[in-house]
Amino acid sequence: MVTGVIVLIAVLGGLVLLVILTGVGIYNSIVSLRNMVDNSWHQIDVQLRKRYDLIPNLVETVKGYAKHERETLENVISARKMGIDAKTVKEQAKAENMITDTLKSLFALSENYPNLKADQHFSKLMEQLNGIESNIAYSRQFYNDMVMKLNTRIQTFPGNIFARIFNFKIRDYFEIEEAAAREPVKVKFE
Amino acid sequence: MYEQIASNRAKTVFIIIGFVIFITAIGFAVGYYIDYRYGINSNYSILLMVFALILAIIMSFSSYYYSDKIVLALTRARPISREENPRVYYAVEGLSIAAGLPMPRIYTIDDDGMNAFATGRNPQNGVMVFTRGLLDNLNDEELKGVVSHELSHIKNYDILLGTIVVILVGMVTIISHIILRSFIFGGGGRKSSKSSGGGILTLIFLVVGIALLILSPIIATLIRLAISRNREFLADSTGALVSRYPAGLANALRKISQHSEVRTASNATAHLFISNPFGSRSKAMLGNLFNTHPPTEERIKRLESMSLGVGVK
Repeated sequence: MVTGVIVLIAVLGGLVLLVILTGVGIYNSIVSLRNMVDNSWHQIDVQLRKRYDLIPNLVETVKGYAKHERETLENVISARKMGIDAKTVKEQAKAENMITDTLKSLFALSENYPNLKADQHFSKLMEQLNGIESNIAYSRQFYNDMVMKLNTRIQTFPGNIFARIFNFKIRDYFEIEEAAAREPVKVKFE
Repeated sequence: MYEQIASNRAKTVFIIIGFVIFITAIGFAVGYYIDYRYGINSNYSILLMVFALILAIIMSFSSYYYSDKIVLALTRARPISREENPRVYYAVEGLSIAAGLPMPRIYTIDDDGMNAFATGRNPQNGVMVFTRGLLDNLNDEELKGVVSHELSHIKNYDILLGTIVVILVGMVTIISHIILRSFIFGGGGRKSSKSSGGGILTLIFLVVGIALLILSPIIATLIRLAISRNREFLADSTGALVSRYPAGLANALRKISQHSEVRTASNATAHLFISNPFGSRSKAMLGNLFNTHPPTEERIKRLESMSLGVGVK
């Protein structure tokens, strides 16, 4: 009888311990995923900052050859400012898409200025820009992968219970809107 | 992925322990033999065993820290600068961001054959090596396919196991050779003047030595097979997840398999490469069983089923 009680207590104690250990494991995995999301966001930030640093340089160079294209240049600068001021992931994504678009039109504009295109400094900047943009795309891919992992963990059982207790929030994806792709292509013959 | 890393670490520890035991046993055997021949009351067996144990531990530690450098020296790879080849730097930089890894160092082998491998003990010390032929002949998408394949090797610690195996298994093979030779050419002549018991013992050692000589390449091959074939498939598929373009690697593999020979590759380093560095030579000699790499057609087929036919040439 006494041994029976002891065995029962031992089994129950073991079960409780198992539940606690599993809980700790799940909690820790959510925290480490969250940290990975933060870290990968930082990676995007590094790349974005590189682009912010490059833009004034690029604008100055273009200005030297194409003073009259004020609107395009101002668009680039204001988009850059929007990116720097952005607070949330959604704002940031929107601003970055704008920067990409305005830079595209800046690049398209350079087609009209053979002297600009021939400029060594300009072509070097464009090459750097292309490198940074592909790095932005890759860091965005990694960030979104991490967000997907975190969100899946938080939304599925038993992570959802922990998320509710400890107030873990799902994160936003860094989405690209191909705004330029959706607009009709304007072709002008002069 | 995490199971893969844990398993690679466990296997590395297992191989190091096996290596230490093997070297210690050799030390004991040699000491025992010397004891028997030169002095009844001497303690060479214990002395040499302890010496071998210490030596084996030092060798294990140094192969953990320096094996990547040894492998790079063995394959005659040299570092390549960003100015020399910006294209490969852009590809490696971007994809290591996408894989969430630190940027590996980039080396090149001056060889026309198309091949690549990765080495290092962990992602922080990762090294990626491309032959000149590969850098010259692959287009951007194909190069990115190869880079992402190598990045997956780095990410799941295949590089640690693969590189340690090069050094430790290589050393075991060399030591077996030395011992066997010393018994055939060195010990053989003098022992007849000693006691007849020595002759029997020498015979035993000779048999053990021959067994070692025959077994060690087989053991080495089996270890390399165990660590190599499946992980190529695994690295192909995880690599495709990083590059998001399986067809890039599939097309690269098709190109590489035409001319993957690397002159500086040896039996010891063959399993590191993305494609068999002996090219078609080995197929005729050993057949499928002892190939360190799965057939390229099979790898391409799996990648194509991932890509659903998109972009496949």
